[in-house]
Amino acid sequence: MIGMDTKLLEIKNLSVQYTVDDDVIRAVNNVSLEINHGETLGLVGETGAGKTTTALAILGLLPVPPGKVTSGEIIYKGKDIVKISEQEIREIRGKEVTMIFQDPMTSLNPVLTVGEQIMEVILLHENISKSEAHDRAVKMLEIVGISGSRHADYPHQFSGGMKQRVMIAIALACSPSLLLADEPTTALDVTIQAQVLQLMTDLKNEFNTAMLLITHDLGVVAEVCDRVAIMYAGEIVELGSLKDVFDDMRHPYTIGLFKSIPSLTVESDRLLTIPGMMPDPSNLPEGCYFCPRCTEKKSICETIKPELIEISPGHFVRCHINLIKGDDSDECTIRG
Amino acid sequence: MSNEVKLFLTKKKNSPIQNVWKRLKRNRLAMIGLFIIVFVTFIAVFAPWIIPYSYSVQDINKRFIFPNTQHPFGTDNFGRDMFSRILYGCRYTLIIGFGCTSIAAIIGTALGSIAGFYRKVDNLIMRSVDILMGIPIFMLALSIIASLGPGMRNMMIALSITSTPAFVRIVRAQVLVVSQQEFIEAARSIGANNLHILFKHILPNSLAPIIVQFTLNVGNVILWAASLSFIGMGVQAPTPEWGLMISAGRTYLRSYWYMSIIPGIAIMLVTYGFNVLGDGLRDALDPRLNN
Repeated sequence: MIGMDTKLLEIKNLSVQYTVDDDVIRAVNNVSLEINHGETLGLVGETGAGKTTTALAILGLLPVPPGKVTSGEIIYKGKDIVKISEQEIREIRGKEVTMIFQDPMTSLNPVLTVGEQIMEVILLHENISKSEAHDRAVKMLEIVGISGSRHADYPHQFSGGMKQRVMIAIALACSPSLLLADEPTTALDVTIQAQVLQLMTDLKNEFNTAMLLITHDLGVVAEVCDRVAIMYAGEIVELGSLKDVFDDMRHPYTIGLFKSIPSLTVESDRLLTIPGMMPDPSNLPEGCYFCPRCTEKKSICETIKPELIEISPGHFVRCHINLIKGDDSDECTIRG
Repeated sequence: MSNEVKLFLTKKKNSPIQNVWKRLKRNRLAMIGLFIIVFVTFIAVFAPWIIPYSYSVQDINKRFIFPNTQHPFGTDNFGRDMFSRILYGCRYTLIIGFGCTSIAAIIGTALGSIAGFYRKVDNLIMRSVDILMGIPIFMLALSIIASLGPGMRNMMIALSITSTPAFVRIVRAQVLVVSQQEFIEAARSIGANNLHILFKHILPNSLAPIIVQFTLNVGNVILWAASLSFIGMGVQAPTPEWGLMISAGRTYLRSYWYMSIIPGIAIMLVTYGFNVLGDGLRDALDPRLNN
């Protein structure tokens, strides 16, 4: 799947800043990503790592002001989303690229029936009659596993999991090429999470839609993603195939994330955490952003920012230690 | 598929308006209010055909007749039948109440949405509204009428202007709240433009307070109009406007109290009807309060 010709979306050196009073908050810093047709990319990171900002930038939905894309390009099917007009980007939103939001409870308009809300996106983008759109909306409801007869019900008459299904129906109604799912299962309970994830994966395959799955749940990533990008303080610190990142993780932050997953087999009193806090995005450290919390840090880490280096085909890591490891494998013991 | 289609048809019968009606029916007070308003509207429309006497013909022999079977509300100081005058007066009351409030609601909703949605002109609109709100309503109405001259049309212009600021504020506040909601961002994410979002998502979600303000304002305008007519700045004699009738009766209040009390009760009833209907509508319009 991975190749030059199949690129659907290519983000090049994207930086996004929010200006609040006198503080400049560097939410996304030099992020480069690509998503291929039909592929699922997981974007993992803790709260405030810039995941949602990246997704909003892809849709051109950053709140301006205070948000602003300061540099970089977002190339979708050959068009730079950062530069095109509002009119052009509206044609992409909902038809080509759609988004599923975190909280299905507040993402549906309470005074419109779910049928009307699915029809809305169809009517906005396709030149068909209301009754045809109505039939399509009913079909979409059936596809996401809700009885079509409930199209005239209001959002408050649905449970959380069903509302998220409605959101999925809206997102997929125009068969988009790219689906941005911003923590789609965070607000749902665990059994419903599994159902919704399964539904999303099935539909993604059926519609051949690429997906950017934003989450902080590595379990979710393991289930549905082809590739994974780990974000920290607005940067990508590790990027690779699911196998690369899960079985051969290299960045100390990624390792910390995996260590903090509680194990079913090992008994422990306390959950393992990564000590410290993510740096203030308005006052980022000079060297490696993760350096203040890193257990493996060397003197070079405090002064020189590491670059994203390809350590094996398709597996990128932003860390000095891995370079040292590449030179002399005995010196590195970070993989306990 | 035919089975499905049948299901949709049965579902479709329950349109949103029917649902609102169903919920409104359960509210007894609101139904009383609605009954009063429908009743008064009916009288207003058919007044010329149902009044037993002319509302303006004077008869010096029939002055100050106390309410009896022939004249249910008695006669006034010119011998005019009060019952006919009250019935005919429904017309003026409703025209003034609905007319001024509708004008104020349309202008206020437009200005309020613009202020709340396009933040660049927010300051300009809201500060102008503040200036209007800074002047006591009655003073403002009086000065507008003083400059335009008394009369029903000018009074309606004045009362429309004084009613507008409240609508602007309510709509703007509501638009500000609703546009922060996540479903507005969701609507943007499916490619909706500003106008679409404003009309399909923001305004329908702002409707409840607008409707409540509308009904309350109709009641208020009726009272203001009566007050303005009472002091002679509004509707002019011999029009059977209720406020004017109270004013005409005040000289004889000690001996012929019914001349002022009856139109007063009429004003009170209609105002009450609008207020309770407004409250009921607010509850009925919220689909989350279903069942």
